Amino acid sequence: MTIAATPTQVPVNVDNDKCIAEKGCTVCVDVCPLDVLAIDMLTKKAFMKFDECWYCLPCETDCPTGAVSVSIPYLLR
Amino acid sequence: MDIQNFSISERLGSLDAEVRRLAVIDLPYGDEEDIVSLLLPRLADEDAAVRTEAVRALEGYEELEVVSALAPMLLDADDGVRAAVGVVLSELKGSECAPPLLPFLRGHTAEVRTLALRAIRALRVPEAFEPAMEALKDADAGVRREAVGVLGYLRMPQAIGALAEVAALDADADVRRIAIGAIGYSSEQSVLPALTRGLADNAWMVRDEAAQTLGKLRLGLAIPELVRAMQDEYWQVRVKAARSLGLLKAVVALPALIDALAHPIGNLRKEAAIALGEIADPRAIPALEGALEDSDPDVRKLSRLALTAITLAQK
Amino acid sequence: MKRIDMEFDLVVIGGGTGGPMAAVKAKEKNPKLRVLLIDKANVKRSGAISMGMDGLNNAVIPGHATPEQYVKEITIANDGIVDQEAVMAYAANSFDMINELDRWGVKFEKDETGDYAVRKVHHLGSYVLPMPEGHHMKKILYRQLKKARVEVTNRVVVTRVLTGASGEVVAVMGFDCRTADVYVIKTRAAVISTGAAGRIGLPASGYLMGTYENPTNCGDGHAMAYHAGADLANLECFQINPLIKDYNGPACAYVTGPFGGFTANSKGERFIECDYWSGQMMMEFHNELEGGNGPVFLKLDHLAEETIQEIETILHTNERPSRGRFHEKRGNDYRSQMVEMHISEIGFCSGHSASGIHVNALGETSVAGLYAAGDCASVPHNYMLGAFVYGRLCGENAAAYCAEHGQGAVDAGDVAAEEARILAPLGRTDGLTPFQIEYKTRRLVNDYLQPPKITRKYEIALRRFDEIREDAEAMFAGNPHELMRAMEAHSILDCAEMAARASMFRTESRWGLYHYYVDHPERDDDNWFCHSLLSKGADGAMQMRKKAVEPYIVAIDDEERSAYQRLRVARSAEAA
Repeated sequence: MTIAATPTQVPVNVDNDKCIAEKGCTVCVDVCPLDVLAIDMLTKKAFMKFDECWYCLPCETDCPTGAVSVSIPYLLR
Repeated sequence: MDIQNFSISERLGSLDAEVRRLAVIDLPYGDEEDIVSLLLPRLADEDAAVRTEAVRALEGYEELEVVSALAPMLLDADDGVRAAVGVVLSELKGSECAPPLLPFLRGHTAEVRTLALRAIRALRVPEAFEPAMEALKDADAGVRREAVGVLGYLRMPQAIGALAEVAALDADADVRRIAIGAIGYSSEQSVLPALTRGLADNAWMVRDEAAQTLGKLRLGLAIPELVRAMQDEYWQVRVKAARSLGLLKAVVALPALIDALAHPIGNLRKEAAIALGEIADPRAIPALEGALEDSDPDVRKLSRLALTAITLAQK
Repeated sequence: MKRIDMEFDLVVIGGGTGGPMAAVKAKEKNPKLRVLLIDKANVKRSGAISMGMDGLNNAVIPGHATPEQYVKEITIANDGIVDQEAVMAYAANSFDMINELDRWGVKFEKDETGDYAVRKVHHLGSYVLPMPEGHHMKKILYRQLKKARVEVTNRVVVTRVLTGASGEVVAVMGFDCRTADVYVIKTRAAVISTGAAGRIGLPASGYLMGTYENPTNCGDGHAMAYHAGADLANLECFQINPLIKDYNGPACAYVTGPFGGFTANSKGERFIECDYWSGQMMMEFHNELEGGNGPVFLKLDHLAEETIQEIETILHTNERPSRGRFHEKRGNDYRSQMVEMHISEIGFCSGHSASGIHVNALGETSVAGLYAAGDCASVPHNYMLGAFVYGRLCGENAAAYCAEHGQGAVDAGDVAAEEARILAPLGRTDGLTPFQIEYKTRRLVNDYLQPPKITRKYEIALRRFDEIREDAEAMFAGNPHELMRAMEAHSILDCAEMAARASMFRTESRWGLYHYYVDHPERDDDNWFCHSLLSKGADGAMQMRKKAVEPYIVAIDDEERSAYQRLRVARSAEAA
């Protein structure tokens, strides 16, 4: 139930054109307190794996290329 | 093989600038012990983004070798690098970091002088006095703001006259405001004219700062002007004046403060009640008792506190 | 998954605020000490201040307030039930801590001469000191960890503190939330700094992670202290906060207060008398919401443009920076509209109230070698600065303890049992998800434990929690991440039961809304002017006992007491 696999609007979105995970970047994955982000082994890009976001923003703030954007989860906004 | 499997040192030497930059970002959180010696070479990296990250990663390392490497980067060709250097240098705390900064307090561009003055402020070194005094006449208002700040932190008696002049005459309101605040280290009577003039400045932020500084310095001679400031067109200034009159235990302010207890702005009534408690003169009792019925609970509460303070003071 | 064995002298559990300070101070006291800081997230951005903090709201700064005044204020704000020595340990050390943080690079607001720009908010005992660039806090702490050469292990969830033959700390166990590797870490001492238990109740939005506290702070530390045999104090003194509705973040009236902002009712009028975040204030808030004058709002629309800009800068860059985004989406501008507020679900958090793992003025729990600091420990109204001060005290005192105590023997049976308990959900192929167990527990907490407290509802809650405990034996986890949620669900359930049992024990009402017990509506000083302690009985069940309030070290004369009492007035009587 927590896996963000169902097609839905997840709060954390990654712009694959900007994400440079393939160059060794794991910043957003590292900083997430709830450990909900991961690197997709096929695309080599970061994505939201578990739908458990606290909208706290380190992933967005610390991303070195501005690839991550966080929106307030739908149930709250 | 995945890039994460290479050590940070190996990634720092990559031919790909983005890989080098990421390695610099990871460095403070990795296992490497001697971060500084790994970062210093990256300050000369050909890629501006790598240099910027290296500068940021050196924040908080006050070793002279670090500051000596960073200060000349105030002249870096890249805007982002210079901005990062300014931020990191402004975090310095130890006076031993000052020598590498001194050459940048004069000359160069206004941006460089601004950042260098900002960086040296908290170090409080006497060597900054002369350059800061000169910079009070700088054509650039940003530079003058920082220069005034440096002199405020230095707290040297010989700067009072110059700061008072800036507080009165500078064309930039923010420079005047900072100068008024910066005088707040001397309770010599000589600062009085500058501060009372500040209470009559055109810009309300300057008047606000002056009202506050007079209370901080407990300058009793300014009480008449502070009482007058209780009529300022900005309630924010009146709040600060009330606060200072309370700190000064200014009995002559009773009528003005009692009037303020009936002002439409609750924040001002509240501050007036606090001040009347601090002054602790029984003549305020009827007005404070009236304020026990105020529509604002904060005012009611602080009036009760003030009444208690007056009772205690009479014992 | 494999088993990883490690050995340290001191393990600090939780790398948020108090934890890093404890680790650094232990190393400063004894650089040879082997100190491990362990966190289930990443210390770089973990804990309550992952995005920093906007200010200190309990600064005791010479020239503005004295430690004695602060102790008096907290004693009265807490209805007298305080260990004054422990509060004094904070107050007396807080200014040194501010100066040390300042040297480390934390930016406190200063005036133009470099003096701290304190703002008066409370009556007399403490002041607000804004931190306009408080978002760098974690970076600064990490730098100090690095300089002190503290070892850091991230993404390991600690589940239990194991004790030896004489009840002393001998090891810490946990697992990696990405690999499920089991960690067995021998250690002579441990500091628990796991933050509040902020994931016990369910936010009104229904969004499981929409909590006020960082949702990682789910009461793991409270549960592990309990299972290690430690006392927990005054758990019935819940944390309930006035928050921005739905966003569930702090409205920060204490930040906006000095600028002229305030909490208002639907008529735009101020109604709160008590300016501390306290049970008294929450009672006033609750009454206004329920009494026909709600909704309740944060009112800023009367302020000058410059002031609003300054407030926005502080509130939208620190602590919960997504706040600006939330307002924007709703078209809510401070200049033209008030911000709707609401009352939060319950939790344990000494930072704002007074409940937690019982510690004395040295940071010691009732278990030898076990210390606790910050929101999870029992020192009232400690906030962030208190977490730092007690982190320091715990680190230094734990280092001293290590100098005198060797490593105790670890029972292999204990290790095997905990390893089996941890791994069980991974071994199952079907059953209930951690999400289901957690959701149901937290929903029942809202239904039955949210004050006003009623015995009959609490009895139902306890019965339902027992049922969930049985169900939880069938929890399955499909991966190590879900295993983390499963173990957290156990902690949440433990905390829910603790909240219920502690509340039913104290048969009076106290602390405003925090312990408003409808069956016992009056405050009863004759029988209940005491702490309540919860611990694990010999039979493995929760037991309760009273503990006398420690003799006051700062006398409070009747005049002062009544002056304060008169500040905390009438409205609560209406509800009672």
